[in-house]
Amino acid sequence: MMDTIFDFNGAPNSGWSQPTAIKSKPRPIPESIRRKNLPDWPRASEPELVRHYTKLSQKTFGIDTGFYPLGSCTMKHNPRVNERIVQMPGIDRIHPLQKDSQVQGLLSIYYEMQEMLAICSGMDAVTLQPVAGAQGEFTAIRCIQEYHRSRGDVKRDKVIVPDSAHGTNPASASMCGYQIIEIPSAEDGRLDIEALKAAVGPDTAAMMITNPSTLGLFETNIAEASRIVHESGGQMYYDGANFNAIIGKTDPGRMGFDAVHYNLHKTFSQPHGGGGPGSGPIGVKDHLSEFLPTPVASRRELQEKDPDGVGDGFWYYWQEVGENSIGKVQQWNGNAGAVVRAWAFYRRYGRELERMSEFAVLNSNYLRNRIMNPDPETSSNINCMPSEGAEADLVMHEFTLSMSPVKDLNGVTGKDLAKRLLDYGYMSPTLYFPQIVPECLMIEPTETESKEVLDRFASDFHSVLSEDPEIVTSAPHTTPVKRVDEVWAARKLILRHPGKKSED
Amino acid sequence: MVDQIPNLGREIEMLSELGLSSMDDLFRNIPVEVRRDTPLPLPPPQSEEQILEDAKRLLGTNVDLDSRPSFISAGLARNFVPTMVPMLATRGEFLTSYTPYQPEVSQGMLQAMWEFQTMVSELVGLPISNVSMYDASTSAAEAITCAVRVKSKKASQPNSVYVSELVPPHRFSVIHNYTQGVGIDLHTLPHNDDGTLDITAASIADGSCAVYVEQPNALGILDDGLISLREAIGDSTALIVGVDAVSLGMVEPPGSWGADIVVGEGQPFGIGPTAGGPIYGLFACTKEFLRLMPGRIVGQSVDSEGQTAYTLTLSTREQHIRRHRATSNICSNETLIALMGAMHMALLGPEGLEKMAHRVHSATCATIDSVSSIPGVEMVNPNAHFFREFAVRVPGPAYEALESMDSQGVLGGLDLGIWWEDMSDCLLIGCDERTSESDILALRNALQLWIKEVT
Repeated sequence: MMDTIFDFNGAPNSGWSQPTAIKSKPRPIPESIRRKNLPDWPRASEPELVRHYTKLSQKTFGIDTGFYPLGSCTMKHNPRVNERIVQMPGIDRIHPLQKDSQVQGLLSIYYEMQEMLAICSGMDAVTLQPVAGAQGEFTAIRCIQEYHRSRGDVKRDKVIVPDSAHGTNPASASMCGYQIIEIPSAEDGRLDIEALKAAVGPDTAAMMITNPSTLGLFETNIAEASRIVHESGGQMYYDGANFNAIIGKTDPGRMGFDAVHYNLHKTFSQPHGGGGPGSGPIGVKDHLSEFLPTPVASRRELQEKDPDGVGDGFWYYWQEVGENSIGKVQQWNGNAGAVVRAWAFYRRYGRELERMSEFAVLNSNYLRNRIMNPDPETSSNINCMPSEGAEADLVMHEFTLSMSPVKDLNGVTGKDLAKRLLDYGYMSPTLYFPQIVPECLMIEPTETESKEVLDRFASDFHSVLSEDPEIVTSAPHTTPVKRVDEVWAARKLILRHPGKKSED
Repeated sequence: MVDQIPNLGREIEMLSELGLSSMDDLFRNIPVEVRRDTPLPLPPPQSEEQILEDAKRLLGTNVDLDSRPSFISAGLARNFVPTMVPMLATRGEFLTSYTPYQPEVSQGMLQAMWEFQTMVSELVGLPISNVSMYDASTSAAEAITCAVRVKSKKASQPNSVYVSELVPPHRFSVIHNYTQGVGIDLHTLPHNDDGTLDITAASIADGSCAVYVEQPNALGILDDGLISLREAIGDSTALIVGVDAVSLGMVEPPGSWGADIVVGEGQPFGIGPTAGGPIYGLFACTKEFLRLMPGRIVGQSVDSEGQTAYTLTLSTREQHIRRHRATSNICSNETLIALMGAMHMALLGPEGLEKMAHRVHSATCATIDSVSSIPGVEMVNPNAHFFREFAVRVPGPAYEALESMDSQGVLGGLDLGIWWEDMSDCLLIGCDERTSESDILALRNALQLWIKEVT
């Protein structure tokens, strides 16, 4: 049995073949910089590698495998046609430095996506350049930084974030050199307006907040929060990780935000691919648009000599943002492949994008209700119920539970329950986040799950709560490996294969 | 009609279980003052068939690199990706998984990334690799901020980093952005007239946090003088080298001439140029930088029964644990593309890599011979060594040369005037493993014809 890819060790030159090099008069590379030893890579043929990677895929759990209620990650179905589209040569075989006339179709897709995202968020201008949500945050905070600088307002050195914020928020602001002021949540889990009032001041550069919050609650006093921050001269930044909850129902513009990032790999179904690629466009209000990364897609009406590239009467072009632009955050024009997938996904909904949010919120409330209100017979078998992460009549697209009562009673932690759910064929919910909920499980079903899946999950969840704690704390039992020792990994730090050479 | 929602049409039943009667009830906690009460002004939903048709039509108007001789490179390669790679990487389990937070059900992707780390480590000659950054530019930028974190306390120039002036400006712009807010002073290192780094002048970087150079540089030059750079800048300054990953099939990896961090564009392995993304950045380093480096790292471990297993490790560096004290904000990376890269690397094997590098280099040599012998064309750096790209000076504006060649069906390269104004009469011509003799002939003929017209 093959343990790793490095166990394949065929004869040199017997693997995947290539044409011979074309003939040329040699211009040899100087001896001093010629490679002496080739890398110790495996020697494997296609038949061996196809099987190797097929086996590895079988030991990987994706949305395609089963329900993936990973809170804050919006693990919705990824339509397959999108993969077919990005294999087309008109995207796969395009160089970002080709001139506008050769990429009219791509530019028109960029333009359409910029417009659509601006409409959905209530912003005035959008760039698709940032390639991940965290990079979108960084980009927006850099724009806000340059905005303050351009006004000579250089004393603003603090960014406010709620304690329930995604870790990327403080990390991104910190990469721009800002100090972070973390404000505690109110008792109901929502933003504490009094704490915000105490935190803002002439040193406030921005506030970063997601709405609905990571507790799955809509921040009902968001407009007031925006007023408070704006009165102090700060800017409001919307973390779009939870955008799936609100499309068509409200938007960051109405809430008073100045800048927002979108996660195309969450809301718009770019597949997560085991951790990426993502795409993190940002939208801003007019006063920030001159600072956006350059270039953005633009269009004008066709003039006489223009060829009509895409047949809609417009000429599309890359427009430089101008001298106040922060420059580039990725050296090309962002993750174009993700933009095209997201475009294909958006086209599936068009003006009915709000159906997505409606069913995401419906599924979340339905599942929460099913989990928290078991029927009497089920209830009588349950050892102990988790408690709500936050008291609320309704939640948005996700909700939190605290396993604290269960842990106190029989020692079953959130992590134990999560591992046991793997045995039932589910991905675990997000664990221990937000940190303000003890023993937190964060559950986001998304709109692409059926009622039957939700019913079954709730029922299996109850089964776990009814099991002998011993079975749960020693889970998982049926996965390719048993519980993995993360401390061992961090202590030994075996970060690569030792290599055939070292074994000699 | 929207078709991605299994519960569509069953909402009343589900709502009634919640004691609600309409979808709007679900959103009643949104205050009226911020509520949207009009439909989104967007077109109606489309079916898969219609979307595919539109995609074909729109993307079909783009001119793809394979449709004609193409010599645009500038950091991306018009490569050949083995068919196995996209077919296996888009298996649903890989494609639709998230960051492997639950190692027990993610062993496949984790092992594949651990193998990727090993292959990158071997390629660049350094012991540690992460599972990818966004692209070469963010790898370079975060290598610099990482080096400052590691070196600034003991450095005599605590916030200073020196960057070769022959780094492509769009990459430099990313570096600038990432270093702006945190007060890192970027200085440039000058070059000699022949396009090689001025090693004597580079000693000014001694005592700074880091030096960043590229091999080959923005003009495609392989600079053999760089192997003396470590000596020039002293032991305490981090040496960061950006590479053309394919060149390492022929060129000595920077790890063996003193580099502390090696970065580069992974794209030539695994994925087409894809209009600039998704691609993936390579990031490898020595042990000294391990605990302050950016990105996800996979480590080998054991499970509760002592079997070998893999897991993400050193997470305490990362934003979800460390928040504002994290070593980077990176969360999503480019894992799937790195997986494609690993598959491509594994198919090549050591000798395949060498051959691929040889193919690129041979094509470049043949193109240089063909183009530089055209009367009126001059090599910008006639005595330099090249791997994939080289610059030529032409008798007129480079953009005009490109326009003319384009009208003859040839993508002739990059107008260097968009990078440096004083090079507006220079073309950067790039080759790849697929550059053929007929491509080169087409380039030569097209360039020659334009020269005849202008002279």
